[in-house]
Parts: sequence; structure tokens; C-alpha cells
Amino acid sequence: MFFHWLEKNPFFFAAAISIVISFAGLIEIVPNFAKSGKPLVDLKPRTVLELAGKNVYMKDNCMSCHSQMIRPFKSETDRYGDYSLSGEYAYDRPFLWGSKRTGPDLHRIGNYRSTDWHENHMWDPPAIVPGSIMPAYKHQFTNIADIETAYAEAVTVKNAFHTPYGPEFKTTRAAWDAHRPKVLADAKAIADNMKNKDVKEAVANGEVPEVVALIAYLNSLK
Amino acid sequence: MEMDLRNLQGYANIFMTIFLVVMLYWYIIHLYRSEKKGVRDYEKYGNIALDDSVTSTPVEDKPASQREYKEENK
Amino acid sequence: MQSNAALEYDYSLAKKFTFLTILFGILGMVVGTLIAAQMAFPELNYLLGEYGTFSRLRPVHTNTVVFGFTVSGIFATWFYLGQRVLKVSIAESKFLMVIGNIQFWLYFVVALAATVSLLFGVSSSKEYAQYEWPFDLGVVVVWVLWGIGMMGLIGIRREKALYISVWYYLACFLGVAMLYLFNNMAIPTYFATEGLGSILHSVSMYSGTNDALVQWWYGHNAVAFGFTVPIVGMIYYFLPKESGQAIYSYKLSLLSFWGLMFVYLWAGSHHLLWSTVPDWMQTMGSAFSVVLILPSWGSAINMLLTMKGEWNQLTDNPLIKFMVLASTFYMLSTIEGPIQAIRSVNAIAHFTDWIPGHVHDGTLGWVTFMIMAAIFHMSPRMFKREIYSKKLMEAQFWLQTVAVVLYFTSMWIAGITQGMMWRAVDEYGNLMYSFIDTVTVLHPYYTIRALSGVMYLTGFIMFAYNIYKTMTSGRVLTEEPQFRTPMA
Repeated sequence: MFFHWLEKNPFFFAAAISIVISFAGLIEIVPNFAKSGKPLVDLKPRTVLELAGKNVYMKDNCMSCHSQMIRPFKSETDRYGDYSLSGEYAYDRPFLWGSKRTGPDLHRIGNYRSTDWHENHMWDPPAIVPGSIMPAYKHQFTNIADIETAYAEAVTVKNAFHTPYGPEFKTTRAAWDAHRPKVLADAKAIADNMKNKDVKEAVANGEVPEVVALIAYLNSLK
Repeated sequence: MEMDLRNLQGYANIFMTIFLVVMLYWYIIHLYRSEKKGVRDYEKYGNIALDDSVTSTPVEDKPASQREYKEENK
Repeated sequence: MQSNAALEYDYSLAKKFTFLTILFGILGMVVGTLIAAQMAFPELNYLLGEYGTFSRLRPVHTNTVVFGFTVSGIFATWFYLGQRVLKVSIAESKFLMVIGNIQFWLYFVVALAATVSLLFGVSSSKEYAQYEWPFDLGVVVVWVLWGIGMMGLIGIRREKALYISVWYYLACFLGVAMLYLFNNMAIPTYFATEGLGSILHSVSMYSGTNDALVQWWYGHNAVAFGFTVPIVGMIYYFLPKESGQAIYSYKLSLLSFWGLMFVYLWAGSHHLLWSTVPDWMQTMGSAFSVVLILPSWGSAINMLLTMKGEWNQLTDNPLIKFMVLASTFYMLSTIEGPIQAIRSVNAIAHFTDWIPGHVHDGTLGWVTFMIMAAIFHMSPRMFKREIYSKKLMEAQFWLQTVAVVLYFTSMWIAGITQGMMWRAVDEYGNLMYSFIDTVTVLHPYYTIRALSGVMYLTGFIMFAYNIYKTMTSGRVLTEEPQFRTPMA
């Protein structure tokens, strides 16, 4: 008998389990891959500074408490803005939808919060939102963001997945040195709207504090 | 092309689901039938957990290793 | 060859992994209790500077209890019961002993290093898969070693028939391997450029909606193959062995096995209801989640019926209590999950505290209770000593049971309250509450939850103490107990 044989042959038994458990993934995930990965028509990839901010978002794991997925309900569109579309996420690696809203959704926070609001809020959340249980992230004002890694990430996704970054994005260190002033200029534009002296000083010295990158990222969420 | 893929996916899904449902029912029938016919008593395997000291007799022998083991313990 | 020495099971590996189970259990639960308390009392976020915030510690908690505590428990029980149901001692093969020991030390190092890396914010941000690529590689090697050891032991077995528990451990190995590999596919940016930036950083092979699908196919089934499959494997061995009753229906256990294997994997997309994932996938996830009740309850009922005619043991053997409570919580969480996977319920439940509430029914009530019961059962056999204190065990049981009940009831209320408040509108159709209103209202429930965490942790420390005393000062046993675990 087939079953009898199967249960006595560990190797084929293991193979049978593998077939049964891989079935769902094959049917559910694989066939839609190309379609679900399509970007919106005029979607732009994130700048290097914004990518560095995304990495700060990942480092301090903001998605423990914040989602980036506005569901198609009136109560959500009233609160956060238009519901989210698949194509908006096409360049997000990894996706940062989150699974818990201890704090509000952030997918369109760039539409209704400003640089100085974030600056004050990251420094002391309950001072801006009385009753808030979010911790302060003062270390982001002194920690320096890793913009070189962010650049490496942009180049990697450009080469591996054809994310539309310009021709100046190359794998060499020279290309990075050439691009660096652009990132610092972006950072300066953010820091100009901030009042923290340490942050301004760091940016003037050619360094990007984490909070600056993070705010650039949050402002880009629209 | 896209339509083709969609169709293929649909057919594959239906075919595989039917196939696996048939397998599962065949399995149920197989379990009860082989017990009724006296080919195999599945419930005896439950004893593997109860009588599990290293010297107790296996419920179903694996002949080769059993021989080795007997020799070792002479 | 020492042909004269009586053949004996070798528990050295089972013991080592048991110590790790207890170590990581305490570590994971301390962090868990701390972050639960932080939600009620935010000042607690500042104990460790940037390393002590809720957001940094949450992945430390989840990964330590999953990959530290639970996986150690799986390894410990495998190296114990694997030998027994295959009727072969692992010491009969030098090779398997060496592989097992390498697995142990490598696992210990990788698990510790990976936990520290999360504390420093080195994270790929995919839930329960946050480890960056070098640690992922370490995990893969450990897992492969376990697979080699498992297949090796099966290869030299005396018992030709594979007991149902072995099926489950084998499925755990295969399932986790497949899921972990596919979900963690990433390109290290350092190597994709001319050595630019951090060597630890990588970028996911999937983007956006696809990444979400792969992640929750993984996330849901990491629960399946980490928290369900091996734990079912454990109870199918330890409950019959402790009670002296064979499984109620062996045939049902086989059927439930295949049912679980087939159905579980489909249900992952229920984590993405109302998202941008195609509708048909969401529907499929919902539907299969409901179907999943059948194989889950098939196993659970089989466990409970195993005690048929022997319910008196429930009153006089605390170990049976642990296992029966575990099966009961398994039933509860496998009915709760499908309810949450219904679209309309999910619209309210998703993103709220009801979800962690549900997870903890399963992990505290089912997984941890079963692993503790297994260690209680194994200890007298591994250390050849009687369990130190039955009274302590009883006290621990009740303390932790109350803790789990407090946990899930408070989180049910918190979740549904918040879900309803988010969508509440006044007579003109405007939103009634600002977001912060829906947070401050939860304070009492967060406080109760933190309290339940303290209670559960206390119970776990009582457990650790009991095992420690058993090892060091329990009454010495002259021969191995057959069924019921002896306790003072």
C-alpha cells in the first residue's frame, strides 16, 4: 500500500510533507508576483536622505507601534487621508505596514505634520500630545545617521531591481563622494527649520543626525 | 498573457484541491479498511510512547538494527 | 565497543537544551514584562538609554521567546523523546553526538549574538524575522545541523514505525526551513557595491505588497511550525506517557496531521485583510482560517479524550493539569484566531491589543505550559531525582493560570474598546475621538496586563527554582519511573 510505504520511508515521507506545505505558497503568492510589484505611474524612489531616515525608522523599530496602511473605511480615510494603494509601496524594501497601532497610522503623515512638529515631538512626545505613552527619542538628536549605507542601498536596488535611480548612482566610492553634497544639502534644508543647536552644528559640520534623516523620511510619507 | 496565467492558476488550484481532497478521503478509507481487514492495527502505534525504554521490543522491528542490538547484548 | 554495558538513553543534549530553555525563558519574559509595564507607565522607557525603549525591546522580547525559549524547548524535547520513540540511544552514534554538540554551542552563540544585535537596532524590520543576514546564516546552519541529527537518528532507529510525534518534529524542521529561507531572502548592500556602508545592512528581495505577502505567509506559519506543530508533537508523547493512557485515537492523530499540513499555510493572508493584497487572497486566507478549526480541534479533542476514564488524575497529578490546561488553551486560541480572521471582525480587531491578546493565549497558555510540563516530566528521568516540590508546582500552576486569564481578558476589552472608538462617529458623521483619547482610555487594561506579566514571570521563576532544586537536592531515584512523574 502507498500510505504504508510512505510512513516507513522517512525520506519520501519528508518529501510528501514538503509538497503538501509548499502548495499554498505556490498558488497564493507566486502567480501574482509581477502584478503586485507594479509601481504607480509617477512614483519616485526615495532620496538617499529619506532612505537613511527609513533605516532610522527600522533601527528604532517605529513599526512596533505605528502602521503605514490606511484601510478603505470612512473612519480611516477621515482620520488619515486617502486609503493606501498597492502601487505606492512598490519601492519599499522591506514593507513597513506594521501590525499594531499603539500610535496612529503614519502612511500620509507628511500631509499634516511639519518638521518643527516632529522635532518637538521626538524630543518629548507628551509635551506635544498630552497623555501620549510614546517614549522620547532624544538619542536621535546626537546619533549620526548612516547615509553611506543608505546610498549603498539605493545603488543595490537600482542594479538588482531596476528601481529608477539616475545614472549618477554607481557602485564606486567616487560616485558616493560625488553624491554626498546633495544629501547634505537636503539635510540642511530640514535642519534650517529646526531649532536644536546640536543638530544645526552637526549638519554644518557635514554630518546628519538621525532625527534629520527621520524627519526627511516622515515628510516624504504622503 | 496575464489572462493565461490567471486561468492556469485557477485550473491548477481546482485540480490540486480536488486531488488533495481525494487523497485525504482515500487516506481515511485506507485507515479504517486496513484495520477492518486486519492488515494493520493503527492503534497499536499508540503504545510506542508508553513502552519506550531502550530495551523494550519495538512495535514494528527494523530487522537489521534489531539483530545488531541482540548481538551486542548477549 | 563496550558491549557489556547496558544500553541507555543519553540525555546530555536534552539537559543542555533544557538549561537554555529556562535561561531564554526568563530573559524573554523579563523583557516582555518590562515592555508591558512601559505601556502603562511610559517612564520605564528610560531605564537603559536608547536601548531601553519599547520599540527596541519589543523585537528582543518576541525573538527571544520564539528563537530562544521555544526553539530550545523544541530541541530539548526532541533530544529526549526522539531517542525514546525511535528506541535508539543517540550515544550509539559518535557522529550524531558530535553534530548535536556543535548544534548546541553554535545555537547558543547565534541566539545570544542575534539578541544583542536587535538591542543595537540592527534589524531588517520584518516581524519575527528581524535578524540581519549574518545571523540568518547562523540560524540556517543550526537548523541544518538539527536536520542532519534528526534524519541520522531516524536512520539508525530500532522502531520501524515512526511515532506521530516524530511526524510533527519532522514537519517542524521542514516547514521552518522553507519559510525562513524564503522570507529572509535579501541582498547585503555592502557586497552589492564596492564596500560602501555597513556590512550588516541588507535589502529585501521583495518589495511592498509582495514583501507583505511573503512576510505573513512566513509570520503566520512560523506560528504554525514553531508554536503549534512541535508542541502538538510534544503533547502526543508526554500526555500519554505521563498518564499511562495511549492516544485516544491514533488514526485521528494521523488525519489531523495531514489536515494541519495542508490547511495551515493558506491562512497567512488573514494578517492582511483590508490591505492592498488582492481580494481573492484575502478571501482565501479567511476561508482557510475557518477550515483550520477542524484539524486543530481534531488534535485538541484527541488529547482531551486521551484522559477518558482517567480524569481523577487531573486532581492528583499537577502535571496532567498543566497539559490539560495547555490543550484547553490550544482549543481557545484556535477558535479565537478564525474568529479574528473573519473580515468584519478583523476590521475592528486588526491593529488593536486584541491581537497580542490572542497571541498570548497561545504562547502563555499553550506553548509555555506544555514546554514546562515537558521539562517537569523529563527532569526526574534526566537527573534521576524526584521533583523537588509538588506544592510549589501547584502554586505555580494557579498563579500562571490566573495570569493568562487576566492577560487575555484585559486585552480583549482593550482591543475591542479601541477598535470601536477608532470608528465611532457622532450624529453628523464626524469622528468622535481623537487618537490620543483611544490611548489614554486603555491605561487600566495596560496596568492589568503588566500585573499579569509580573505574575506569570513569578510563576516561571518558581518553575526554574523547582527544577534547580530537583537537580541538586531532589530525592535520588533508583529506577526510572514508568509513567507518573514522582514528586515530593
